[in-house]
Amino acid sequence: MKKRIAALLGTALLAGMMTACGGGSGETTAETTAAAAGGATEAAAETEAAPEETSYKSELNVAVAANPPSMDPHGINSNIVGSIGMHIYEPLFSLNENYEAVPVLAEGYTVSDDGLEYTITLRQGVKFHNGQEMKADDVVASMNLWLERCSKAELIKGSTFEKVDDYTVKMTVPEASSDIIMVLAAPIQFAAIYPQSVAEAAGPDGISEYIGTGPYELAEWKQDQYVKLTRFADYQSPEGESSGLVGAKPASTETIYFRVVTDNSTRIAGLQTGQYDIIEDLPLEYYEQLSSDPSLTMDVETGGTLNLFFNTTQGPLANQTLRQAVMAALNCDDIMLAAYGDPNLYMLDAGWCPPDDAVWGSDAGSEYYSQNDPEKAKELMEEAGYNGEPIVLVTTPDYSEMYNATLVVQEELKQAGFNAEVEQYDFSTFMEHRADPAQFDLFITSNSYNPLPVQLSVLSQAWAGLDAPEVAEGIAAIRGAATTEEASAAWDELQGFLYEYGAASVLGHYTGVYGLRTGVEGFDYLRYPIYWNVKVPE
Amino acid sequence: MLSYILKRILSLLPVLFVVSVVIFLVVYLIPGGPATAMLGLEASAEQIAELNAQLGFDRPFLVQYVDWLAGVFHGDWGQSYFLDMPVLTAIAEYFGPTLSLAILAQVLSLIFAIPMGMLAAYKRGTAVDLATVSISLLGTAVPGFLLSMFLMLFFGVYLRWLPVAGYAPLEQGLWEHLRYLILPALSLGIVQAAYITRMTRSALLEVLYKNYIRTARAKGLRESAIMFGQALKNAAPTILTVVGQSFGSLVTGTIVTEVIFNIPGLGMLTMSSINQRDVFVIQGVVLFITVIYVLVNLVVDILYGLVDPRIQLGRK
Repeated sequence: MKKRIAALLGTALLAGMMTACGGGSGETTAETTAAAAGGATEAAAETEAAPEETSYKSELNVAVAANPPSMDPHGINSNIVGSIGMHIYEPLFSLNENYEAVPVLAEGYTVSDDGLEYTITLRQGVKFHNGQEMKADDVVASMNLWLERCSKAELIKGSTFEKVDDYTVKMTVPEASSDIIMVLAAPIQFAAIYPQSVAEAAGPDGISEYIGTGPYELAEWKQDQYVKLTRFADYQSPEGESSGLVGAKPASTETIYFRVVTDNSTRIAGLQTGQYDIIEDLPLEYYEQLSSDPSLTMDVETGGTLNLFFNTTQGPLANQTLRQAVMAALNCDDIMLAAYGDPNLYMLDAGWCPPDDAVWGSDAGSEYYSQNDPEKAKELMEEAGYNGEPIVLVTTPDYSEMYNATLVVQEELKQAGFNAEVEQYDFSTFMEHRADPAQFDLFITSNSYNPLPVQLSVLSQAWAGLDAPEVAEGIAAIRGAATTEEASAAWDELQGFLYEYGAASVLGHYTGVYGLRTGVEGFDYLRYPIYWNVKVPE
Repeated sequence: MLSYILKRILSLLPVLFVVSVVIFLVVYLIPGGPATAMLGLEASAEQIAELNAQLGFDRPFLVQYVDWLAGVFHGDWGQSYFLDMPVLTAIAEYFGPTLSLAILAQVLSLIFAIPMGMLAAYKRGTAVDLATVSISLLGTAVPGFLLSMFLMLFFGVYLRWLPVAGYAPLEQGLWEHLRYLILPALSLGIVQAAYITRMTRSALLEVLYKNYIRTARAKGLRESAIMFGQALKNAAPTILTVVGQSFGSLVTGTIVTEVIFNIPGLGMLTMSSINQRDVFVIQGVVLFITVIYVLVNLVVDILYGLVDPRIQLGRK
């Protein structure tokens, strides 16, 4: 009897485990058949092709370093969400390779004489992944949701969208500015157009159905494993050559897998064996070693700036002269080398925008940048009456570049005579400290470029507490400028002010490295890696 | 017997209660809610506070806890914000890969450990014994992540026999399923085998010098019959305990190995839920692990009775 009960219990336990096991992977059956079908069409295409032509794989494997926290680009400032999202959804306008705003789902627009009304016409015949046609109702619902949720839309706060007819919408803005369409085209937290029903059903944490008009549709999203995109058969590509995020999007490879591989060495091992065709966030310490491998190609893209932010409102650094002393002590070359490990992977420049940007590239304030002058720092400290109060640098080891840079800055400050202390926390805790001026004196973060300098975090009071009227005036001057030249000059002035006031300092410009198998074609980058042109030879 | 099992399962309840309060409290006290992780680096404090409020994380601790507890009694363990699914579904989904990995690792470890342990005990003091003990000590001493890296580099990158990382569910075929699991299972199995070998050896040594073994030898029983029929059977409770512990630790998810080999199991779920402050998932996973541990121990206890009739569970 005893044995039978034990056996029964054992079987029950085992059965329970089996169902748990089965439940875990039951969804993949359909996927396998779909993949098989994809393989069949590919095979058919191959037989038609001439024998000497290269044949391409029907599946692209991209290893990404982070788990996308969502598939809703509106509300989340996350590169992985934006980058995958760009393949699924499309905005009204986006950027071409010259950083100009170009229509995507829009056909064109006209502006009223007072600059307050934008009449945007929509392309006709564009289908959502669910088969519905994209119309004005969808655009109005999505854009209103975006205005509410996107922090980058603060610039045009108070704007409204309304429907004129099925293929025309009217946008009303509270203030005229030359940058309105640029704001709509910004790639981070981009203004993806969803079907009206999806946009209207969105809860506090965003949409829950992932339907767009993009060249790929979301086939499957397995948390912690992969995001699988498949070519959207009814895709209506915008006209024109592929350029940045606009123009033709051929969806050259049938299926894209974004595989979530958080471990750095695993991502690299997978690239070396060909399990992944492309890996994102290649750890910089491997750059030199992997560059010498002929089977791999490294793609280096400048992505933003590493910045030092001061607490300008509380604590010892509320004193402007003392902030100037800190800036005098910095040697940015050493800081950037510690952060990025290889001189090929960073650039020293005082500008907050890409130095090659014709409009926004600026060297204003560069006399304050990377002075490496501890003697001057000591003099300024004395002038400011510094008495060895602790200067707290908060950081997080979760972002190694931010952490390493912080340690070097601490050392440089100590050498100049500051009592610099580092407090390190996990990312979430760091964010709490950073947001509260009572809990930091200095912090360093890496921030991606913004298409418009007025969207930079450094200008926002919520970021590091910066509270100076010159900032608001500067923003107004840039946005109200009649010509690009005037706007550019106004930004020069504002950037100069940031340095002079000691609000923050750029430490340098960083790059992101993508590892590709040699032979992979069509990889492109604009703010995000772009995969719709990518082809992988067999 | 049945009442014994029931009693054991009932005794779980207070344990689970205490564990749940502690975990909830810890997650409540550490700074940064799910909103921080959700909104990313450039989110403003107001946005974070707003989302936390919308999700109900700004309420007092007791209100949040009682709310969650009430849900649990109705079979609702809460919702994961990142996975966008109920916690129980998430656990069920992530448990599959971990279970497969645990079973494979355990089988691999036992194939090595039991024969080696027996051989070492039988040949006590010889070179074979010394070699076995040294190798198993080395196996215990090597950190799991190092072993994982080594296996990945050698079999994955250098020899290219097996994929470096990833996971294929059983539906894609048994071989496909196993192909991805072999390296992580080896990595886990080697460490477990080292431990089980040593414990098997010492359990057998204790038995081998008992009087009844001497009697059996004197009666002229074959050595194999003595080893398997007498010694192993008497050492079995100790070995079972060790194997039970080993399986318990495998089946509750191994964070390092799962992360390195990219296996979407309980270990991965534990880590990502902690990173993302996905509080209900952390709760669910910890409670689930507690239950599994207790169940594994219960099964081991029941097995004692099977291998050794002298042990009668539930009788005074």
